[in-house]
Amino acid sequence: MAKRYSSFDSNSTTWLLQRVTAAFLVVVLAFHFFLLHFVHHAYEIEFLGSQARMEEVGYYLTMVLFLVTATFHGVNGVYNALLNQGLDGTAKRAAQVVLGVASLLLIAQGIRVANALAGF
Amino acid sequence: MSESYDRGPVEDFGRWRDFQAGMWAWVFHKFTGWVLVGYLFMHIPVLSTSLQGAEAYNSTLGGLESLALVRILEVGLLAVAVFHILNGIRLLFVDLGIGLESQDKSFYASLVLTGIIVVASVPTFVSGAF
Repeated sequence: MAKRYSSFDSNSTTWLLQRVTAAFLVVVLAFHFFLLHFVHHAYEIEFLGSQARMEEVGYYLTMVLFLVTATFHGVNGVYNALLNQGLDGTAKRAAQVVLGVASLLLIAQGIRVANALAGF
Repeated sequence: MSESYDRGPVEDFGRWRDFQAGMWAWVFHKFTGWVLVGYLFMHIPVLSTSLQGAEAYNSTLGGLESLALVRILEVGLLAVAVFHILNGIRLLFVDLGIGLESQDKSFYASLVLTGIIVVASVPTFVSGAF
């Protein structure tokens, strides 16, 4: 059997969540790109159109879930890359705090934007 | 049972001449991932102009889309996203132990398919920009 060349523990929750979010994001990122570049062209996007889409409950929930999963997947990917560089001790803890706070701020701001467009 | 040993950092890019398909797939996946997460942290601030009302939102998005450079960068973003999606599907299969023998071929297929999709999308992305 081939040896595993990985710094992470494949039994960990974050390892599994990285894969679960990946499976979701593969579909939703493709949908997002297709909708906002091919169905509606990016240069035609205006407030009223964004508002109309976000007022749909299904679209709103999909976009919020997209935001949360993309932030987790992206930031956890950055964290894993830092671990691969041998990050340890205080620096590792600092990275966890900085990336965690940045993620929470991004998600909070993204939900504020979605709420504003949805009229909540 | 796997054994534990110190093999140094994985990301030793100084060895790039020795990289095979799987390592290039890993490097490209990392690179496209960094671009996508960087874009995400810029995307939300741009969309945040909606908090200031319709006029601010429309003028910000319209202003960005009027720049040819932004349109070209959007094609780059598409390339990055499509490759990350296709190689991500490949990785999910690899993690499930499916298609391990042809993981190099599926990497090349991801690259070719990315190229085809991006080239076919260029007219849509740059329409009216020049």
